[in-house]
Amino acid sequence: MNDALPWPILFLPLIAAVLITLFTQKRNGLSAALSVGAIAISFVISVILFVNAGEAAFESKINWLTVGALNIDFGMRIDSLSLLMLLIVTGVGSMIHIYSVGYMHGDPSFSRFFACLSFFTFSMLGVVLSNNFFEMFIFWELVGVSSYMLIGFWYQKSSAANAAKKAFLTNRLGDFGFLLGIIMLWSITGGLGFATLPKPGTTATVVGLLIFCGAVGKSAQFPLHVWLPDAMEGPTPVSALIHAATMVAAGVFMLCRVFDVFSLDALTVIAWTGGVTALMAALIAVQQNDIKRILAYSTLSQLGYMVMAVGLGGPPQAMFHLTTHAFFKALLFLAAGSVIHGLTNEQDIWKMGALKKKMPVTFWTFLAGTLALCGVWPLSGFYSKDSILAEAFKSGHLALFGLGVVVAILTTFYMFRLFFVVFLGKEKSQAAGHAHESPKVMTLPLVVLALMSCVGGLIGIEPFVGKQFGMTESHETLAIIAPFVHAPVAAFAGLAAVMVGFLAAMSLYAKAQTDPLPAKLQGLAILLRDKFYFDELYARIIALTQDALASVADFLDRWIIGGLMVRGTQGTTELVGRAVRFVQSGNLQFYAFSFAAGVAVVLYLVLYR
Amino acid sequence: MNFSLTYLELAVVALALGLLLLELWTPTALKPKLGYVAAAGLALILGWSFADTIPSESATAFSQMYVRDGLALFFKRFFLMAAILVLIMSVEFSDRIRMGVGEFYVLILFALTGMMFASSANDLIMVFVSLELITISFYVLVSFQRSRMGSLEAGVKYLIMGALSSAFLIFGIALVFGSAGTTNFDGLLQVTKGAADDKVLWLGLLLVLAGLGFKIAAFPFQMWAPDVYQGAPTPVTAFLAVGSKAAGIVLLLRVFLGAVPPVTGQWTKLLMVMAAITILYGNLCAIPQRNLKRLLGYSSIANAGYLLLGLSVLNASGCSAMLYYLAGYLFTLAAAFTVICLVARESDDISSLAGLSQRSPLLAACLTLAMVSLGGIPPLAGFFGKFLLLKSIIEQGPVNPGYYCLAGTALFGVVVSLYYYFGVIRAIYLSKEAPDLTPITVSVPARLSLGVCVIGMFYLGLFPQTALLVAQEAVSALKF
Repeated sequence: MNDALPWPILFLPLIAAVLITLFTQKRNGLSAALSVGAIAISFVISVILFVNAGEAAFESKINWLTVGALNIDFGMRIDSLSLLMLLIVTGVGSMIHIYSVGYMHGDPSFSRFFACLSFFTFSMLGVVLSNNFFEMFIFWELVGVSSYMLIGFWYQKSSAANAAKKAFLTNRLGDFGFLLGIIMLWSITGGLGFATLPKPGTTATVVGLLIFCGAVGKSAQFPLHVWLPDAMEGPTPVSALIHAATMVAAGVFMLCRVFDVFSLDALTVIAWTGGVTALMAALIAVQQNDIKRILAYSTLSQLGYMVMAVGLGGPPQAMFHLTTHAFFKALLFLAAGSVIHGLTNEQDIWKMGALKKKMPVTFWTFLAGTLALCGVWPLSGFYSKDSILAEAFKSGHLALFGLGVVVAILTTFYMFRLFFVVFLGKEKSQAAGHAHESPKVMTLPLVVLALMSCVGGLIGIEPFVGKQFGMTESHETLAIIAPFVHAPVAAFAGLAAVMVGFLAAMSLYAKAQTDPLPAKLQGLAILLRDKFYFDELYARIIALTQDALASVADFLDRWIIGGLMVRGTQGTTELVGRAVRFVQSGNLQFYAFSFAAGVAVVLYLVLYR
Repeated sequence: MNFSLTYLELAVVALALGLLLLELWTPTALKPKLGYVAAAGLALILGWSFADTIPSESATAFSQMYVRDGLALFFKRFFLMAAILVLIMSVEFSDRIRMGVGEFYVLILFALTGMMFASSANDLIMVFVSLELITISFYVLVSFQRSRMGSLEAGVKYLIMGALSSAFLIFGIALVFGSAGTTNFDGLLQVTKGAADDKVLWLGLLLVLAGLGFKIAAFPFQMWAPDVYQGAPTPVTAFLAVGSKAAGIVLLLRVFLGAVPPVTGQWTKLLMVMAAITILYGNLCAIPQRNLKRLLGYSSIANAGYLLLGLSVLNASGCSAMLYYLAGYLFTLAAAFTVICLVARESDDISSLAGLSQRSPLLAACLTLAMVSLGGIPPLAGFFGKFLLLKSIIEQGPVNPGYYCLAGTALFGVVVSLYYYFGVIRAIYLSKEAPDLTPITVSVPARLSLGVCVIGMFYLGLFPQTALLVAQEAVSALKF
């Protein structure tokens, strides 16, 4: 029976998307019910599967195509890794679907939103369940498409349309490498199934790095990180679902899924890419003023942590952090959405303030999310972050360990900066004075996610995934204090970082009306505010290389290809076509003659030559 | 004598005769609906054909003139499916037929009977008789719109050209008989295994090739196709393009791969040249066309060329690719012609498609899918068919480098064809001025048949495995 279970999980959201698109465009209530119902049932089935699934991984597949040596299955692979992701995607996804019913209320394209959301869920589940590279790549691209549709959901706004385009194109760049990697892997090993990956470390480094390109694009790692902050133009639930909890995690998930492919050199590159991303994004987050952008850079930074963990040889740690991050970052985004909703679409934190009284549920849940993200004992973020730091310390990468601690300081700093400015202090605008708490349908998911953020570190996620990667250490000690026993350096370093960050943020921002940092840091603050000028740099690079290339291509296209080849060929073809048509005169005698002549020519060719 | 082997054909004949009788008592207003009766009857027969397992050993009847094997069964089902879709199309067309609607349907059934016999032919006499049954039914069908000059002209052209080709065919059969002393395929196989270079036999077989080349409209026997396709009533055009062509193909397979492979083996060059020129001719001539049916006529010539690719490699993978291609071609063309039948009422000019996307999004989408499939773009049936054909000839490349040239020519043809297929799509969606924007109502059976076509196109394009297995199984009857 287990064999059949994954199929409805995958296809229910697709059915919902199709039904909404075809039939219920005009009936909002029904559309929402279909979409929420589909993912909720998927979640329930996932739970059943989770309970039923034994220790061993299994696959349920059908043969899709055999062409010569290439044999492609369409299948589902169920193991700890995919089970965990299934629960995250459908569980957190359900919360976000429910929240969206409130958030998108009154939007003229309400039904389209849910159709897109369900389609995204389908694609994402496909990535999670795939049992081979080919299938994963198809769903990988579908995820890209659905993310494009959702970022550009308000396509009337040119900024949203541009952001969607930017996200899509940037991802394309990474996916190109991914595809090359897949093809290379296939040509080396002759197989694409995950069950038959080559032995660890036997494939060439370049294959691993090309496949890593896919993760760099999708998980927005340096240097392809530029699309994620812009993607915040989409509706806030989308930011929570796609750009915090699930899609961007797909890159990390994929790295864990195909971990055996990476050679040691490739892993080192991966670890440093993650570390650099984490640091850079945390620095930029310090000087952002848009509530969603701060969270976006924070997401980048946390994704950096996860990628770093994979690079350090710790997929279980990466998946652990991925899970807790999905809880608290989805929570933070949804709470931020609640704030934006309450202030009628204000996103500048310097126009908020004193929301503690007016939005109590949002306040408390946001606080829980912040504490979890910063890594305050005993909330979930503490355990997952600690496990990564411990892994870095244990494996002897002290530089990366130090980097991780610095990022932890910065994380606490920018999160409490956000927290103080938005919820405490004085009202900084009229809108903040008129703020009101969001409806139940929005606050309920906040509460559920807040609970998960608090206890997520203690429910045994790491050992659950760890089994699959041969992690055998069983902790005798109580889970709640285990880190202090097993890796005291990392645990205390993490806590110290939180203290430092918190004190710095409090001294600067507890009562601030404007940001005091630019005056103190001067040029550095501007550098951070302008995101290290990556966008400008890329724009210049594109202007220099691509435009130059484009003008050359334009010349070739216009004169050589267009003029000589296409128009020349087309002209010739068209001319030939017209000329031949004269033969086709409609004259019956001529037809009969040509038939006989044709026979004669054939006879001559075959019999007399 | 073994009548029971022919039960499918007998059922179709009985259905046709029953329909003739039924028509006598049907009030005039209801006569067009008889097409549904015929289609339903054929659907039953099609279902019946599945009750029977594919025979692993071929069984023969009528002194070995008639053979029943996997290949025959495949094509019988193919023809039944084609006739069902054409009949539903004909009901939509019936308001344009002045008189004798009932006979129109019955003639389609008789032509179908001929095709089904053709798929079982195991003797040159059987080839001739079944072809005549098909062709004579078509003479009448093509000129059925007696009040329209175009239809009559097409009928006369088809009659004279058809008679000419039949003359060549029967002359060829006579020569073969004179040289080999038999017209039976099993006998011919024995003879040609012994002496494969008897020039009189070759002469006879080449004339047979000309006669069959006429049926599939391959160069240099293709002249009639565009004129007849344009003039004939639309459902008849569809049946000519799908059914008649497939009948020619199955006979080519039976004669040249089943009966005289030792001779055909020395003619690969001829087949390759014929395929290449047919592809080029069809695609190039289609470019300047403005008439939809004429355009599809040229496109059907090009497709005959693609099908010949599969024949030219003379092996199982080429043949199974041909069958696969034909299956995709059936659904694609049926969809295209059904839409044309519904939309192009006054003229068949491409401009009559203007505004179709607003008049009926369903029809616009179906025609677009059909054009995309004809163009050979994934994930539709046409892509996979072309892929398999090209794969089969490229695999032969190391044996004879000429196959690489042939593959190049075929690819060039595909690229050229995109130009005119997309011209049709452009007319549907991007035409500036649309004179007529009244919505088009599509009857339930027509919706159903369009649905079947669309599902067929997607199924063959997305899940090629099962259909390919069926094709391979059918081809195994040829015993390579």
